[in-house]
Amino acid sequence: MADTLTIKRTSGSASAFIPMDALRSSGPEYSKLVDISRCIGCKGCEVACKEWNDLQSEPTANFGSYQSHKDLTPNTWLLMRFNEIEVGENLQWLIKKDACLHCEEPGCLYACPAPGAIVQYTNGIVDFNQENCIGCQYCVTGCPFDIPRYSARTKTVSKCNMCIDRVEAGLEPACVKTCPTNAISWGSKRDMVAKAEKAVETLKKRGYQHATVYDPAGVGGTHMMYVVPHGDRLADYALPTDPTASPAPLTALNFLKRIGAWLFGFSLVGALGHLLAFGQESPDEHE
Amino acid sequence: MSEPLLHRFNLLERIVHWVVGVTYVALLLTGLAFAYPPLFWLTAPLGGGAMARVLHPYIGAAFGIAMLLMVVLWIRDMFLNRQDVQWMAAVHHYATHQRDKVPPAGKYNAGQKLFFWVQGVLAIVFVATGVMLWFPEQFAPARTLLSSARLLHYMATLGGGLFLVLHVYLGTVAYPGTARSMIDGKVTRQWARLHHPRWHEEQTGG
Repeated sequence: MADTLTIKRTSGSASAFIPMDALRSSGPEYSKLVDISRCIGCKGCEVACKEWNDLQSEPTANFGSYQSHKDLTPNTWLLMRFNEIEVGENLQWLIKKDACLHCEEPGCLYACPAPGAIVQYTNGIVDFNQENCIGCQYCVTGCPFDIPRYSARTKTVSKCNMCIDRVEAGLEPACVKTCPTNAISWGSKRDMVAKAEKAVETLKKRGYQHATVYDPAGVGGTHMMYVVPHGDRLADYALPTDPTASPAPLTALNFLKRIGAWLFGFSLVGALGHLLAFGQESPDEHE
Repeated sequence: MSEPLLHRFNLLERIVHWVVGVTYVALLLTGLAFAYPPLFWLTAPLGGGAMARVLHPYIGAAFGIAMLLMVVLWIRDMFLNRQDVQWMAAVHHYATHQRDKVPPAGKYNAGQKLFFWVQGVLAIVFVATGVMLWFPEQFAPARTLLSSARLLHYMATLGGGLFLVLHVYLGTVAYPGTARSMIDGKVTRQWARLHHPRWHEEQTGG
């Protein structure tokens, strides 16, 4: 269990793109697994999240849904989305546990310009350090799942930190601990993948022939995976079909920045070189 | 040497140019800090990363307004003509100080006019994409749109920044007597004859 908080990547540093090698044994790589088919919609996880992380409660209003809040906020890191969808002749809740997926290739971290504001640990947790955050909100743009939320009051961005303080102490995240139906489980990534595959098998036997594991390769896999009963209707769950770690313009930007750095350097050296080769052109010498 | 000096820029022109210049450099340095993590310390003069993030857009707004004023003040003299094409064709002689092979320039040479237009167009790109990056929550989670804005904002920085290095180098070190036109607004007649012969003729009547 040692060394779960060995750093893998830090925003605004070379390690954002070339992950650091763990010098010490880095401990297990964790993952949450959310089996949507087992969720009864009690929202106990939402309460546990607020409680453990000491997040202020926010007034709710009836907007014609069983859902507690309309959207994630800087103080609401976990929201059970109750997507009301017609499946066949039945109306169904395609529930989604909306919170950070802790991508293996985190788009937020890639997009962040502030050194140390976003840190990825070898155990898979991607955490925001608000004291280093400059409030540019590039992470909001960088995230393929629309998770980070900006607070105009604190001028920083927040999201689920996977109860990093609990994990560090060898405990499971608060939402996992509280779930009464074991719809959310916690363990090593390998164990959770195995568990997910087994759950999918069972679902298929029960007639959910499109059941699938949501662990998208476009972001290198995630550290919160889903077992999705209606795998053919990801969009109805508000799950991106093919999320990418970095949108094309940012990939182009990172490439251009490298060229740009050389050009800026050459321009200064070039000016000095020109001065040495041709000197100053003083009007007096032309008289 | 006792020939009277020529007036090149009035007080308003000088002030506007300085506002553009100072804001441009402040924006370039904080912008480079955001683009290149090893240069993040460049945010320190403005009070650190978070403060630089707050101030950068306001400085940008001041830049945009000053730039607009500068365009209004100078656009009349900036339209390119046939002589400018000839000047541009001889730009390598200008760069290597072979003045006898360079066609005489008016108040502004073709390079200066081009600089004006390039920075003018880039200012539009800066402000348009800058507003989007200033208030991203108005556009979020438009991932492609906002990351495209970042890309364009950087491209403008690269183009404008390189031209700025050239502009400052030519205006200060390379051509002595030029920088003065932006301090007390005056230049010597020798300077005018060397750099802007046609303008010198207009001013002195021969």
